[in-house]
Amino acid sequence: MKPMLSTDLNVAETTAEKAKIEVKNLNFYYGQSKALKDINLSLPERSVTAFIGPSGCGKSTLLRVLNRIYELYPKQSAEGQVLLDGKNILDRSQDLNLLRTKIGMVFQKPTPFPMSIYENIAFGVRLYEKISKAEMDNRVEQALKRAALWNEVKDKLNASGQSLSGGQQQRLCIARTVAVKPEVILLDEPASALDPLSTAKIEELIDELQADYTIVIVTHNMQQAARVSRQTAFMYLGELIEFDRTEKIFTSPREKRTQDYITGRFG
Amino acid sequence: MAHTVASFDEDLRQISQLIRDMGDLAGSMVGASTKALLNSDNALAQRVVSDDAIMDARQRELDDRAITLIAKRQPMADDLRSVVGAIRMAGDLERIGDLAKNIAKRVGSVGISAAPRDLSHSIDSMAQLVLIQVQGVIEEYAAGDATALAKLRNDDERIDVKYTSVFRELLTYMMEDPRNITACTHLLFCAKNLERIGDHVTNIAENAYYVLTGTQLPANRPKQDETAMSAPAA
Repeated sequence: MKPMLSTDLNVAETTAEKAKIEVKNLNFYYGQSKALKDINLSLPERSVTAFIGPSGCGKSTLLRVLNRIYELYPKQSAEGQVLLDGKNILDRSQDLNLLRTKIGMVFQKPTPFPMSIYENIAFGVRLYEKISKAEMDNRVEQALKRAALWNEVKDKLNASGQSLSGGQQQRLCIARTVAVKPEVILLDEPASALDPLSTAKIEELIDELQADYTIVIVTHNMQQAARVSRQTAFMYLGELIEFDRTEKIFTSPREKRTQDYITGRFG
Repeated sequence: MAHTVASFDEDLRQISQLIRDMGDLAGSMVGASTKALLNSDNALAQRVVSDDAIMDARQRELDDRAITLIAKRQPMADDLRSVVGAIRMAGDLERIGDLAKNIAKRVGSVGISAAPRDLSHSIDSMAQLVLIQVQGVIEEYAAGDATALAKLRNDDERIDVKYTSVFRELLTYMMEDPRNITACTHLLFCAKNLERIGDHVTNIAENAYYVLTGTQLPANRPKQDETAMSAPAA
């Protein structure tokens, strides 16, 4: 089946915005099985893009290709191009550590390191930069403020990161990601394990962060995708079915399969 | 394709059934009110007045169901459009009921000084045009025929043209004989009500078109209310 991919579907072009990431003719394999089939899309800079679709549709796989985190596992391979500012990150010459400072990632389950709140953030920064104690203090504070967590933890920076609530832990992970000054933030179901209030805080945070970062979010929560993103990609069985402005996708999608999925008729 | 959650389909079906019921009731109220007017039938007029209470109750029921559905199901895409569209269409149908009731309430006043034959004929043919529109719009919506809805919306122009001619005719009768003024003024309000009913049908057609297609009809439609121009020149 041919996915709808005429140029008018290319949101970055229609809105005349600069594309931060361009995915071109991307195929992805888990061993022999093809998980992504000829994906083409372009993600505009400083804007939130949501990937939606039923389990196994390839949305998380696509997210994992964007920072090549899949390479941590054997027998997984990608072909095609993923251009970050025009440069193909799938190229063998790409420095993976450098890539991951530019493209940060936050996972479904909060993953604070078993160390203090302060160290959770300073740890990643130290891997890439040598800065003074004063500069590090400042960096930690800025990151925690950016993640809307500062007021809740400023008096207990030496407490363990794991002593925080689930929602706070997730914001700590976002602070950790922000601290290394990435350009792109990938969020894989960042709020699915959180209560509604913590979810609202994460969504508010995403809204603020998009002024400075290009954000890609994978979510099973359709309302969340509708609330936080500017453009939405619907994927099904490893194909990109439809990619358009979020309000268009959720009010009058052009593809029947998109409509059936978001209205709860399958998936 | 059916929803995975079957009760969601049932909720949507009930809302759509209410719209059809309200559409049927609106059609019968418009037909009965003009018939009562032309035949000076007070009993029939009274029935229209009591039907309006049923119409109002239906609208409240639809609002409740629609709000509950939005809260419970968070509908998307065509489901969302059909629920929001139903709320808006119900509002227009309820207004059509009010306007029909207003025509019915004038039956007593126009009553004995029954309108001249020719005039009854003009109002009757205008009412027929309106009735076809009221009945047609819900039928086409239920049938899912967006093209027919777009045409039906444009057909409102015929009602506007008819209204202009009824207006001129009534003006002539009033100038001919001042004793006609009371009856003709009431009839003028009735004609205006019929014209307004046509406008509500137009709104319903536009909403129904959006529900079915996800796109809006172009904003401007041919408009022909020339009564302002036929007022005596200064």
